[in-house]
Amino acid sequence: MAAIVTEALTKTYPGHGRPWQRGGEIRALHDLTIEVREAEIFGFLGPNGAGKSTTIRLLLGFLHPTSGRAAVLGLDSATRSVDIRRHTGYLPGGIAFYDSMTGDEQLRYLSSLDDRPAPLRAELIERLDLSERDLRRQIRDYSRGMRQKIGIIQAFQHDPELAILDEPTEGLDPLMQRSFYDILDDRKRAGRTIFLSSHILSEVERVCDRVAIVRRGELVALNDVGELLRRHRRRVEIRFTGVAPDLARAPGISDLALREGVLTCQLEGDPSALVEALQGSRIHDLLIEPARLEEAFMEYYAEESPT
Amino acid sequence: MNGPLLRHTLAANALRLIVICAGLVLMGVVMPVMFAAFGQEVATFMESSPLLRQFADFGGGDLFSLAGSIALAFTHPFTLLLVGIMAVAFPALAIAGERDRGTLEVTLSRPLSRRRLFVTLYVAGLGFIGLLLAVLSITIVAATYAVGLGHELALGNVAQLWLAAWLLFVAFMSLAFAVSVSSDRAAPAIGIPAVFILLNYLAWAIGSLWPDARWLEDYSMFNLMKPQDIITAGLAPTDALILLAFTVACLAFALYRFPRRDLPAPS
Repeated sequence: MAAIVTEALTKTYPGHGRPWQRGGEIRALHDLTIEVREAEIFGFLGPNGAGKSTTIRLLLGFLHPTSGRAAVLGLDSATRSVDIRRHTGYLPGGIAFYDSMTGDEQLRYLSSLDDRPAPLRAELIERLDLSERDLRRQIRDYSRGMRQKIGIIQAFQHDPELAILDEPTEGLDPLMQRSFYDILDDRKRAGRTIFLSSHILSEVERVCDRVAIVRRGELVALNDVGELLRRHRRRVEIRFTGVAPDLARAPGISDLALREGVLTCQLEGDPSALVEALQGSRIHDLLIEPARLEEAFMEYYAEESPT
Repeated sequence: MNGPLLRHTLAANALRLIVICAGLVLMGVVMPVMFAAFGQEVATFMESSPLLRQFADFGGGDLFSLAGSIALAFTHPFTLLLVGIMAVAFPALAIAGERDRGTLEVTLSRPLSRRRLFVTLYVAGLGFIGLLLAVLSITIVAATYAVGLGHELALGNVAQLWLAAWLLFVAFMSLAFAVSVSSDRAAPAIGIPAVFILLNYLAWAIGSLWPDARWLEDYSMFNLMKPQDIITAGLAPTDALILLAFTVACLAFALYRFPRRDLPAPS
């Protein structure tokens, strides 16, 4: 069974302005069809206003779809949202808490609403480096990063089958980010599913198995992260002496440029053809820049950028 | 109903309740004591001028009869302000305010339906208003006995006055809840019911002070709670039924609207 399935999920809002001035509808999400597998970490990418938060809110029943449907853990999001939330942990972007409560009180209160025990709380507190003293302080005294830690703990403490995380590492320092990634890896190994929306592409690249990219409310890509990177063009720089290597006919090579003993080009796909083409040339140095999700992401967006 | 949410709501409002109760205790003590101490002098003074006599009719309360002084305790702007804080601010902050701050989203990410959340908060609100008016009523009775006028008081009618005041403020609270579930921000959720109450109060006050504008009283919901009449003759069932009907209409709207509306991300 898939953890999340959406079929032609669409959400539109009425246009802004006074009732007699209303223009057309605002299309927040259009025909989104995705499937998130069990026990995978699924990245959901897109710039502000692309439809990421709308999708998450549709999955959790905060919004009602205009058309299409979504099922989470086999439960219809429009009619079974309470049951969905019983098995789901949710970390909203820029999470808010009751400032007058201590961290510990907040976690216990949310756990009491969960209607199920919190077996992971103590472990998460330790892994995210929160001390007893920290937990006894009121949340109004917390830094942005500490609030985010409480947010992560409340999302995972009851060991949910599915965690939906919106910008989860916002405010965390690099050390805590690493601890958080380890937590994600552990939950995945325990058979839990993670749906992660993020702006930080290196984070998605680091932790996600598959990624969906949305633009203006529409899905533009859905693929394995590895596959997405393999398909993406990488910059190659070759330093040589003597005759320049002939790469013009090598498969996957484009944008060749030669300047004072330095040959640069773009490589798409498998590099073995390039290596083969370089045989017999006097190469001093060969640099193939690693593929970055950021570039793949930007490629999808460049198509739509205003010129 | 949700137990943890109810306990959390009680704890979050405990301090506010204590402060308001203290104010109402003061109000409950002052009116009967002032009547016992200065009632005769006030009556003589007020009767000395037709203009002052007109002021003595304000809101059906006065300081020269026991029933009038009790009525004044229930209709005084200070009482209205204290109980009104709970009737308007609590619903506005509990739903629209929490939505504005983003905490409603975290609560609703738990296995808790919006209807259940609403019912829990509404029940808490019913209890808060009931408690505040009970504190006022009990204090009035205690103060009346303390000044030796207990024998003039029909306790059953005081209970009916409590019920009438509770119905009136619950009606206002229900309106505030209906606005709150429809709003994404606290300001309109407080402002709309507050203006509604203020207009009702002004219509009632102007109507009671100015004979030519007496017709305004009929358009005020405060006219459905006539404290002096209740203390002397008991509660009019028609008034209670009108307040109940208003409450049911607001409640039905809120219960229909809240689960069906979209909750976009807080801005």
